Parts: sequence; structure tokens; C-alpha cells
Amino acid sequence: MSLKLDYVLRETASNFRRNITLTLATVITVTISLTLLGAALLFGDAVDNATVRWKDGVEFIVFVDPEISPELEEDIRRQLADSPEIGGFTYIDKDEAYAEVQDLLGDSPELVEVITPERLPASFRVKPTDTLPERVDELAAAFRTQPGVAKVVTASETIRAIEDLSSGLRQRVIIIAIVLLVAAAVLILNTIRMALFSRRRDIEVMKLVGATNWFIRVPFMFEGLIQGLIGGVIAIPLIWLTNNFFSVINDDVSLELLRGFTVDPSRVWALGFQMVGLGAVVGTVGSGIAVSRFLDT
Amino acid sequence: MIRMENVTKVYKGEVLALQNASCEVQRGEFVFLVGPSGSGKSTFMRLLNKEEKPDRGRIFVAGKDIGELPSWKVPFLRRNIGCVFQDFKLLPNKTVVQNVAFALEVIGRPRSVIKEKVPAILELVGLSKKMHNFPDELSGGEQQRVSIARAFVNRPLILLADEPTGNLDPNTSLGIMTLLDRINRTGTTVVMATHDRSIVDKMRRRVVELDRGQIVRDQSRGVYE
Repeated sequence: MSLKLDYVLRETASNFRRNITLTLATVITVTISLTLLGAALLFGDAVDNATVRWKDGVEFIVFVDPEISPELEEDIRRQLADSPEIGGFTYIDKDEAYAEVQDLLGDSPELVEVITPERLPASFRVKPTDTLPERVDELAAAFRTQPGVAKVVTASETIRAIEDLSSGLRQRVIIIAIVLLVAAAVLILNTIRMALFSRRRDIEVMKLVGATNWFIRVPFMFEGLIQGLIGGVIAIPLIWLTNNFFSVINDDVSLELLRGFTVDPSRVWALGFQMVGLGAVVGTVGSGIAVSRFLDT
Repeated sequence: MIRMENVTKVYKGEVLALQNASCEVQRGEFVFLVGPSGSGKSTFMRLLNKEEKPDRGRIFVAGKDIGELPSWKVPFLRRNIGCVFQDFKLLPNKTVVQNVAFALEVIGRPRSVIKEKVPAILELVGLSKKMHNFPDELSGGEQQRVSIARAFVNRPLILLADEPTGNLDPNTSLGIMTLLDRINRTGTTVVMATHDRSIVDKMRRRVVELDRGQIVRDQSRGVYE
């Protein structure tokens, strides 16, 4: 069988023009679902990267009572400095904490207004020499009962919280993305069915004069493939945008917690191309189903 | 060329379209299928190019049992059977030459063959001058000529014509019949379903009469009734 490329291209182009609105809707849906899926996967990677970094740095943070006396604070500082199990620590005073909050809530000045440096706790960010979770927990517990200490947060608790949050979030986004992807496939199926319907006379004649089913099928499947591909290609810059948003978090928020919330560019590209491939598969499968159903009846 | 053996076709379990019909058509024959509407003429034709499957009986086309033909081979059977209809089934957005070329294009004939064959067949049906017109710019007779050109351009063994003159006036119909006769003389087997008494009586070819799905008459050099 000789399927001519120019024939397929001509047919596909004319179908595209004919169904421009449906094609647009389909491509947008493919793009959104692939972007969401890509972003969710990227987010997972970023969380992995972020939490890995966290383990290397600060293991627990001692928040002191905002109304602590300078003597008590000095006590804590001395204790941290003297402990052989603590490699180092950084002191974040009220003003620095306030600066952080300002950064964090920069978009909502009304919130920043109600917060004053006096109401924020100063904190010690502690890096123990031994980073075994059990040892860190023990060490943190020792400070928890210290007079003047408001709260002690260990890395493991925070990381676990982030991981829980992110995996929940990731799962949900992936589910939404898959539902959207199915919707995209159904939309493609419908677009192709419309195209088939508008060309039913041509198809009737084609069958009559003995065109093979594959000959009839290929231009329509190609149309679905192109729709999926375009959706995927548009998703690439959007996935990049998500990645840029990560680095915004990373740069702007001086929270040490989230440092390393970033993904290698090569990984972003790979993910982008995977999404294009997925778009192509969804497009081909959707249109394939539409054409087969149409030709069988 | 065509052989039907005890063919029965029932639609939706109740409408009896053909009942135990047996018939043989030789290569190069011209056969009229006559009978009232609903007598099974169209079913007879649709069975031959496997648009329908018989419920019982066997059908041979060019010596092959088409009941045993796998579905992917059906297009190749159809390349040997040209079809002409009462409503022409031309594509309105294509010109005459494009309509005929389409039939060759979609079965993968090379462009050089199309360029050579299409003008030749349009010459044969007498439409060389209207090659670049669209179907709605042609008269009914001319449209039917285009449809015959499309059916015959691939030189099929069999030409099935389902009431080809049904929409045409008597004079135009005669022109179409002359054309079908010429095609028949090239060795192509022609089966034509018709209601047109004057044409059948004038042509004096074999007549197979159907009534309620049964072949009630098979007469060589016959008349309408």
C-alpha cells in the first residue's frame, strides 16, 4: 500500500481548518493536563531535592520565648556553644526574623503591618555533629524543657510534614492531570469524529472504490497525533515556568527549610519531552478509537 | 463472473430481502435486475461488493467465495467492482477531474497513472470540456457520466449500476445507456437495477426479475415484464 505523505498532510491540514474551534479546545486541554502532570512530577523532584539539602544543614531550631530575659537567652547560647554534640549554630534575632517574614509575606503588606519585630521569637538554628535522627531528637528534647524556650522544631518533623504535604498534593495533582488527560483523549476522539462526520461522503466513496481502512484511517489519526503533539509542545514552556516559580521560592524565601527547592534543567527538559510523547500517545489513541468505531459501523 | 447459491438475506430478523436466490452471470454479460421497490434489487447489489453479508448461501465473484474473504481484503474486491448510483455520490467540493482522480488516488495509484487515465476516461464519457467544473454546475446526465467515469476509470471486472437513470429524463437516460453499453462491450460485466421499462424493452438484454426477495424470472433478451 502506498500512503502518500502529501496526501496525508493535505487531508490533515484541511481537517484542521474545518474544525478549528474544536481543535483549539482539544489542544488547550492537552496542554493543561500535560502541564499539570509535568508540574506535579517536577514538584516532587524539587521536594526531594529540598529535603535532601535540609538534612545536610540545620537539624533543629530552638525558638526562644519572645519575652525572654537576656540572661536566659545567654544561658541557651552558652549551652549550645559548650555542647560537644553541636557543631555550630546561627542566631536569628527578632529583626532578622521580621525581615524573613517581610520577605515571606511581601505580597500581603496588611499582614506584615500587624506583625512587629517584638512579637516574633528569636531562634537558634542548630547544626549538630551527629545527624542521626534519634540523636537529634534527644538533643532537641533537652532544649525543649529549658526555661525560656518556646518551641523546638526538629528537621525530621518539618521534613516529614513537607513530605506528607507534598506527596498528598502531588497525588492530587497527578489524579487531576490524569482525569484531564482522559478528557483530552475523549475530546480528541470527538474532534476526530466530527472530522469523520463532516467527511462521511468522501469516506463512503473511498470505501466504495476500494480504499483500504488504513488509507482512510491514517490522515485522521495523524490529525489526532498532531493535536497531542502541539499540546505537549506548548506544555514545555509552561513546565519551565513552573520551574522558574520554584527558583523564585528558592531565592526569595530565605527560609533555610526550602533551600534546594530546585530541579536540574536537564531533568526539566526530559520531563518536557516525556509530556510531548505522552501527548502524542493520547492523540493517536483517541483518534484511533474514533476512526475504528466509525469504520466498523 | 458472479454466482449466487441459495442466498438469503434478512434485515433485522424480519424484513426478508432475498430468499433462496440463485443466479449466475457470465463474464461480459449485461443483466437487468427488475422488480418493484423492496423486491431485493439493491440487496442483490450490496451483497456483491460485500456491503452486506448473506444470512445463508454463498456468493462467488470472479471465482472466489467472497464469504471467505477476510475483511481487510474487501477493499481489493471492491477495486474490481465499479458502482454507479441513482444519486451519483459525487463529492461536491471537488471538480469533475478531481472526483475521478480521487478514486485512483485513494487506492494508491501513482500520479503519473492518474494524469494519464483520468483525461482518457473523461474523453470516453464525453466530458473533456467540463473537467474543471464542479458537480453542481453540471446537468444530471453529466453528473451521472462523471460517476460512471469514476466507477470505470480503474477498469473493474464488474460494473454495478443501481437505478442509474432513476433521476434522469428519457433522452438523457438513453445517453447513459449507450455509455453503459459501450463499457459492456469492452468486456466488463454490467449488472443494472432499474425501474425503467422503456430502457429494458429497448436494450433486449438478459432480465432477472425479483419479487419479494425471490427470483421469479430469468430471461435472456427479455423485456420488462
